[in-house]
Amino acid sequence: MTAIFTRCCLIFAALGALRAQQVIAPTPEPVGVARGGDFANYNLVDSVEAGYRWRLAGGSLDTYRSDVNYGDGIRLLAANFSLNSKDGHGRWFDEIVFSGSGLGNDPYQSAALRIQKNRLYRYDMLWREDDYFNAGLLISGGEHLMDTTRGLQDHDFTLFPQSHLQVDLGFSRNSQSGPALSTVQVFDSQSAAFPVFENVKQQWNEYRVGILADWAGLRFIARHTWDFYKDDSSYGLNGATVAGTPPDPTVLTQFQRAAPNHGSNPGWFGNIYGSRKHWALNARLTYNIGNGGFVLNQLTAGLNRLGAADNQQIVVTGDAQRPVVVGDVSFSLFPTSRLSLVSNTAVHDTRIDGDSYFTQFDNGTGSSTTLNFKFLGVRTISNTAELNYRFNPWFSVYAGFTASARQIRLLEAFAFPAVTGSAVRYPYQQDSRLNAGDFGLRLRPFRPLTINLEGEAGHADHPLTPISDRNYHTLGGRIQYRTRKLQLSTGYRELYNENAPLSFTTYSSRSRQYNAAASFSLQDWLTFDASYSKLHLDTVGGLAFFAGVPSDQLQTGYDSIYISNIHAANAGLRFALHSRAALYLGYTITRDTGDGRAAAVPPGISDPAGALLASVQTFPLTYQSPMARLSIRITPKLRWNAGWQFYGYGELFHLLGVDQNFQAHTGYTSLLWSF
Amino acid sequence: MIPAARWLLLAALPACALAQVPVTTPAGGYAGSNACKTCHADVWSNFYKNPHYKSVAAGDLPPSGAGCESCHGPGEAHIAARGGKATIPRAFSVIPPAKVLDACLRCHARDFQKANIRRSEHTLADVACTACHSIHHSPTPRFLLARKQTDLCYGCHAGIRAQFEMPSKHRVNEGFMECSDCHNPHGAFAPSWRMSDHPRMVDQALNHEEPCLKCHVDKRGPFVYEHPPVRIEGCEVCHFPHGSTNERLLRRPVVFTLCLGCHNGGAAGTRNNGVPIATAPHNLLDPRYQRCTTCHVRIHGSNADETFLR
Repeated sequence: MTAIFTRCCLIFAALGALRAQQVIAPTPEPVGVARGGDFANYNLVDSVEAGYRWRLAGGSLDTYRSDVNYGDGIRLLAANFSLNSKDGHGRWFDEIVFSGSGLGNDPYQSAALRIQKNRLYRYDMLWREDDYFNAGLLISGGEHLMDTTRGLQDHDFTLFPQSHLQVDLGFSRNSQSGPALSTVQVFDSQSAAFPVFENVKQQWNEYRVGILADWAGLRFIARHTWDFYKDDSSYGLNGATVAGTPPDPTVLTQFQRAAPNHGSNPGWFGNIYGSRKHWALNARLTYNIGNGGFVLNQLTAGLNRLGAADNQQIVVTGDAQRPVVVGDVSFSLFPTSRLSLVSNTAVHDTRIDGDSYFTQFDNGTGSSTTLNFKFLGVRTISNTAELNYRFNPWFSVYAGFTASARQIRLLEAFAFPAVTGSAVRYPYQQDSRLNAGDFGLRLRPFRPLTINLEGEAGHADHPLTPISDRNYHTLGGRIQYRTRKLQLSTGYRELYNENAPLSFTTYSSRSRQYNAAASFSLQDWLTFDASYSKLHLDTVGGLAFFAGVPSDQLQTGYDSIYISNIHAANAGLRFALHSRAALYLGYTITRDTGDGRAAAVPPGISDPAGALLASVQTFPLTYQSPMARLSIRITPKLRWNAGWQFYGYGELFHLLGVDQNFQAHTGYTSLLWSF
Repeated sequence: MIPAARWLLLAALPACALAQVPVTTPAGGYAGSNACKTCHADVWSNFYKNPHYKSVAAGDLPPSGAGCESCHGPGEAHIAARGGKATIPRAFSVIPPAKVLDACLRCHARDFQKANIRRSEHTLADVACTACHSIHHSPTPRFLLARKQTDLCYGCHAGIRAQFEMPSKHRVNEGFMECSDCHNPHGAFAPSWRMSDHPRMVDQALNHEEPCLKCHVDKRGPFVYEHPPVRIEGCEVCHFPHGSTNERLLRRPVVFTLCLGCHNGGAAGTRNNGVPIATAPHNLLDPRYQRCTTCHVRIHGSNADETFLR
């Protein structure tokens, strides 16, 4: 039995190793079976992988850093530690589990820790840090660069985790900091935008306390949260800057901005649920009130787009509230073992309101003061009813119906006695209803084979945006054949949101997704998996915009078309020579073939606006990443690993004239030690 | 004398035999976990590392709620038959998914994260607990997953795997994130940011918000000037949440095509005259107007400008 167990462990580990090869390191190869060593009344298992990671990149390093971002240096690629009490009666703890990856300057680092003592307490910690680099690239002409670090941490402590009365305490922190480039448009809405430095400094802290109680067969949860958000990013300009567009003589000589924004979101959460043989109940109520206080003081000076000296100061102060109430009641009935009925009703109410004072001093236009706060209220009520019936062990069906009603109310610049002349602007109310039905069936004609088919059709009478779901349907299906050694699956899913007749105000989109996957393992020495997906998307929508040479004209005769045909494939082969050596070869490729055109602008399009729109209808590119890794056992507790991974990114057409292509070789070598 | 002693011994034998029987004999066909060790030593030898061992360590739970038989059911018949799956009341490799779910929910129905499991997409698709969890042979340090979490999800969702291999993506394959950062595989509450009940498996931040806001807290607001689609339709109205060939997970490679998709004056949006179109000076043939967010930097919401300029 022990041999079988060992084999099972290795097979599971091998499968894990196979499918996990998305990045080259850390190494998933195990060093034997992790039995660990006994220490007093505990069993200790530990493994550490440390090594050196390297990188050679060419082309657009900014794109590489946005997409991959691995660099050079020594890393603690992986660390795993567990300490378990052998009888479940440890003095201070019964279990400590720690796992970490990428520690020591990898762009993606994480660590998880659990400490618990049966019946008394449980503590969970998750810490993550991400070096976030974004070059801005096309979106803003490369001007919105960010080179920041985002840190996330979650701490949860539970007292009496196995009892009928539990107490939860929690803390989470999310912070982002680092240099960035932003842009500012000055003096008026037609002048150029100038790059400015931004020192990002944002932090969010949440504190939680909650009680869970079991009573009369039901579980009650009450939780109170306090979260605090602050954005103290600062902005600056490094000397005078001239507009980049030659006809625009705007010059920015002075720019100062401070815009602290601090807020809090105290909230309550309540939940009750219970389950019996013939029914189940689940209800929640959430109430949060978001508060925000903000100040913006911006001073700009220079030459405006008419060439005249100009200076402008904008002062904004205010506070905002956002009370949100969300409730759900879900009631399930199981009259027989074959039939289940579920009804779910949800209510969501949001109001965004507050006071805002906008003051602008402009030496060209004098000064003006307005109160201009936008009230936005959204209330949605929805009900879903579902039926699930099992005809026999191999055939069952389900069907459901959802009805939603939503009301949106908007007020801008509502009247305020202290400000003469201000008036209600754009009072607006929109009521919308969405009805949708879904249906599915499941077949299991024999044990390894399962077939699922599903579909949904819906209609919304007043969608919020042209691209929102209006007349839509989904169809999907999946066939799977799973045995211990062989897994085959294929699936299809489509989502059509077709709105006709097509005019400049309507929109239609079609997405289709095909996929197939295979995974095969032969004992513990050969595993292979591969998958292929095709993601098709085509959208067409009406456009209204101003364009023209030399004068701007309203254009409504153009369509916005986008066609994407993405072929994505990956394959991996792992070959192990007993447990002495393991070789992994992998390859992934993503290729968007667009609509097959050879040039960004097809021949025959001569007008400038048509050519511009044609050039952004497709975005063909290839992104591929072959890799290889070798892992050799030196001793039963020590392995040497080395790997190489290549990233190649190539766009066929350089949209808006920006070349973002890159090629990068990355690799590592490491020692994995475990006991 | 000898026959008398023999009779006495004969009379004492049953008493001795009875004395061998434990005082607290498990009832209802339960044999106790100790009986299982004999044949399943491989499972038992590492069971102390299993979260379910808590039920054994507690020491005061009946066999129906502790150890092997709390999940597999009474084992006496299995012992009497000298093994065989047919004699195990709940042999998870052979019982139908609905029975697997019922068995696990006997205890785990109390977990808040599983409060919506009866109506989850996975339950509807017959994806039961043992499809993802390996109770006795889990290689993961937590949650008894049968494989690394992303590999489990990719096993069925190959199309999603393809999205995470695109140039612009959330760092799931790199190990920085996991699918469960945004999804609750056991089923979630109805999303509060859209009209319909879908998507169903998306977890919620602060109990009601889109999970994107767990990390991207600067987009939460409240803002004086909300960009209504962000608040009402959710982030995916402009972004692909998993991955995209377009930078910043956008649905279109060039931003003006994304913006103009709504800003065409059509009869929608939150104004009587529809979503406003760009004003006349925005000559699309001028390169500066092809990159909308160069000027409209606060596109997710602003406290200082209704057109999101600052």
